[in-house]
Amino acid sequence: VSTRTASCSCGRLKVEVQGEPFRVSVCHCLACQKRTGSVFGEQARFHSAGLKVTGASTEFVRVGDEGTKFTFCFCPNCGATVYFTAEGRDDVVAIPVGAFADPFFPSPTVSVYEHRKHAWLRMPAEFEHDP
Amino acid sequence: MSSRTASCSCGQLRIQVEGEPRGVGICSCLACQQRTGSVFAALAGFSAPFKVFGTATEYVRVGDQGAKFIFRFCPVCGTTVFHTESGDSETVSVAVGAFADPAFPVPRVSVYDSRRHPWVQLPPGTRTFDKDPT
Repeated sequence: VSTRTASCSCGRLKVEVQGEPFRVSVCHCLACQKRTGSVFGEQARFHSAGLKVTGASTEFVRVGDEGTKFTFCFCPNCGATVYFTAEGRDDVVAIPVGAFADPFFPSPTVSVYEHRKHAWLRMPAEFEHDP
Repeated sequence: MSSRTASCSCGQLRIQVEGEPRGVGICSCLACQQRTGSVFAALAGFSAPFKVFGTATEYVRVGDQGAKFIFRFCPVCGTTVFHTESGDSETVSVAVGAFADPAFPVPRVSVYDSRRHPWVQLPPGTRTFDKDPT
């Protein structure tokens, strides 16, 4: 089983995940734009079995459009969010793909909240697209 | 003159900038990937004056070429809203996503393009640099 480590900018908060992500997706919603400061968020979902967290984190809770409560964990020293979870889904952890610092990380296959997409962004046609 | 406000996720930390950005670009360096959690940073440079509202935590990172960048993030939600470069009080770089505006001006430059995730497509005419041109 492959192991990957996601880290914040300063390296104090790290998460180790086992196996391959079962979903890698891009989200254009305004909350993801604000959280990342980029024009979309890209998340990889892993089964949380074998998850190992090292370092202190601050939690930020945000309730999504559909009522789901998400808990984001970021490094209090540098601010980078390294993982988040959704209430009621303890078996899944979402990792912002940038935290792996790996340009060869598996490509996303899904793009959501496309009505918020910056017009200049081209999402590959083979992705699954959700308005 | 138009003004724009960028905000963190929870709204505690905001910056108001005036006029149009001096430049808009994306950066795919690994440090920008880790800071944003996305696969590149989108940044807009604005000239002073600018106004900051709320409390920020500072995080300093020294770039590949020795420049000292001072990032300001919200201690409540973690969003990095803007950064400045030590010694330059005339310019501020604001995270484009913090404007939450899908019609924000298009990036014209891509730096650290050598680290760009291969599925990311740039707008036609974007100037690319393998690393940082400055």
